[in-house]
Amino acid sequence: MQPKSDEAGNLSLDFLAGFTIFMVAFIYVATLIPGLFLGLESKSIDYDAVAYRTGVILAEDPGMPYNDPSYGGWENIPDANKGDVLRFGLALSTSTPNILSAKKIDRFFNNTSFVYPDDYRSRAVFGDYPYQFNISIKIEGENSTRSIGDPLPEDYGYSRRLVKIKEDSSASIDLTKIKGCYWSNQTNDGETDDGKWNNTINSAPGPTTHPFSIYLNYTYLTTKGPYYNNPAYQIDPISPMEDGITVNVSDLDKTTRYGYWTATGDASAAGGALNNINLSRIYVTQSSMTPYKPPYYIRSPFSNVWDTNTLPVPGKLYIDDGSTPITSLSSPVKVNKSVSLVIPAGSFGLSSLGGNDPSTYLNITMVFTLDPNHGDWFLNSTQCQPYGAFVYDYDPARVNQPYLKNGTLEVAVW
Amino acid sequence: MVDESGQLYTIEGFAAAMIMLFTTYLVLSATSVYTPGDTHISDMQLEQIGTDALKMMNTPVSSNVKSPLQSIIETSNATTAAAAFNTTFLNYVNSRAGSNPDNLHYSAAVTYRNITAGDTTNNYPLASNGLLTGGEHPVRVTEWVIANIKLPGRNTVEPRAVLVEVLLWRD
Repeated sequence: MQPKSDEAGNLSLDFLAGFTIFMVAFIYVATLIPGLFLGLESKSIDYDAVAYRTGVILAEDPGMPYNDPSYGGWENIPDANKGDVLRFGLALSTSTPNILSAKKIDRFFNNTSFVYPDDYRSRAVFGDYPYQFNISIKIEGENSTRSIGDPLPEDYGYSRRLVKIKEDSSASIDLTKIKGCYWSNQTNDGETDDGKWNNTINSAPGPTTHPFSIYLNYTYLTTKGPYYNNPAYQIDPISPMEDGITVNVSDLDKTTRYGYWTATGDASAAGGALNNINLSRIYVTQSSMTPYKPPYYIRSPFSNVWDTNTLPVPGKLYIDDGSTPITSLSSPVKVNKSVSLVIPAGSFGLSSLGGNDPSTYLNITMVFTLDPNHGDWFLNSTQCQPYGAFVYDYDPARVNQPYLKNGTLEVAVW
Repeated sequence: MVDESGQLYTIEGFAAAMIMLFTTYLVLSATSVYTPGDTHISDMQLEQIGTDALKMMNTPVSSNVKSPLQSIIETSNATTAAAAFNTTFLNYVNSRAGSNPDNLHYSAAVTYRNITAGDTTNNYPLASNGLLTGGEHPVRVTEWVIANIKLPGRNTVEPRAVLVEVLLWRD
């Protein structure tokens, strides 16, 4: 019997050829499969997501650092130390999404301090891929759109946020409010306020030096804001908010005897021409105790924080609606009608005047002097309740409260 | 004799390769592959704009005034309220940083709880600037508003929470 040839375990050549062809085709098809899912990671979706992320960071985040012990917010960090700015964010605080801070916007769109694209890419756009982008904001009342970045290409990822920008408060003190100080707390004796005013203004000439004070209670301002102390409506002089204020005192001429008689058509009865009203000094005094009444300038417990002939750099003083600020009071400045004192937002404003101490009582006193022959009565705030100063607080009858302006923030990424 | 069971021959190998390649060709040559994400992103952008617009309308511009949206809800004259909502809402959703405003369409309604009528939920139309014909692809955005309002079934003006619901779409 012939032994049977044992072919078990051998591969036939035919099988080898067929299997090779199958495997080559299989591998080829397998490498094509990832291409089927290209649509899932398409570029435009990726760009939209990055634009959305940047939009959220800018509109809803206050940035980092937000409340640094030495700087306050990132917007106060000087250009030399801009490496300390970790993340941009334009919101006032974490609790106020879409409500933006004007100082943060100013700093963010100031491309002399931050350089496009690197400074912005690492602090607002993020990601490993070197995206190009354009960030712009249009603010109600501004003629031009502010923007950072390159011109837009044909196709880009896009995010649009509707925001509000907080404007500082201001006080407009006019004849009505000055009169209000005099008569509001007096008992009704049957005489009208105007009648009392007219009688007094025609009595013997009064003093020739008149302190006109504005009073800010930082504790009250930082704890008793509207809407449960919502930062959007607060007047907060303390870091990191550091809001600014504007005090407009108008109708100064009408508070004098001359103004009164001019208004009644008999200027000669005032006993001479318009009294020379001079602004001779501005004192800023601070106390951490409840002030006495009245807190005349330089009166205990207040102590001076600002009593120089030159005004500190951020404070701006405008006389008679002029457009050029007065920088020195070394000689008294003549005032015909109005004085406007602007203390802008920022670390050199109210926060530094009050030593960034939330228990501060701050008193800003403008001292007006008249010429010796024309004393008068009402050019001052000494009768205002309760401290002999105009109180700058959350009463809309006294202070025009912080105002939110509309804005549109757009982020384009490609 | 060679056992041929389980063997693959050249001709079958060719056939399998051809079938796989033909299938791949068919799939790849389809004009484009739509993924759900494509439409989702533009929906999200629309939703974002609508939510922002309602939120900004419900934010008072100053501490001593009501929010525009609250004032609109409290307006008893339906025509006046619709006109005010139309102007304000379109101002917001169409505003862009560039020069060309957007062109969005919406339909807004207010939903409230009717306390007396068996505790049901009722609604009434607020304003719209386009008809939903069915071909559009709207997104829905909402905002709760607390307004001093006299709702049907009540005799007094009282603070009530109502839901402003807006359908927003692009042509």
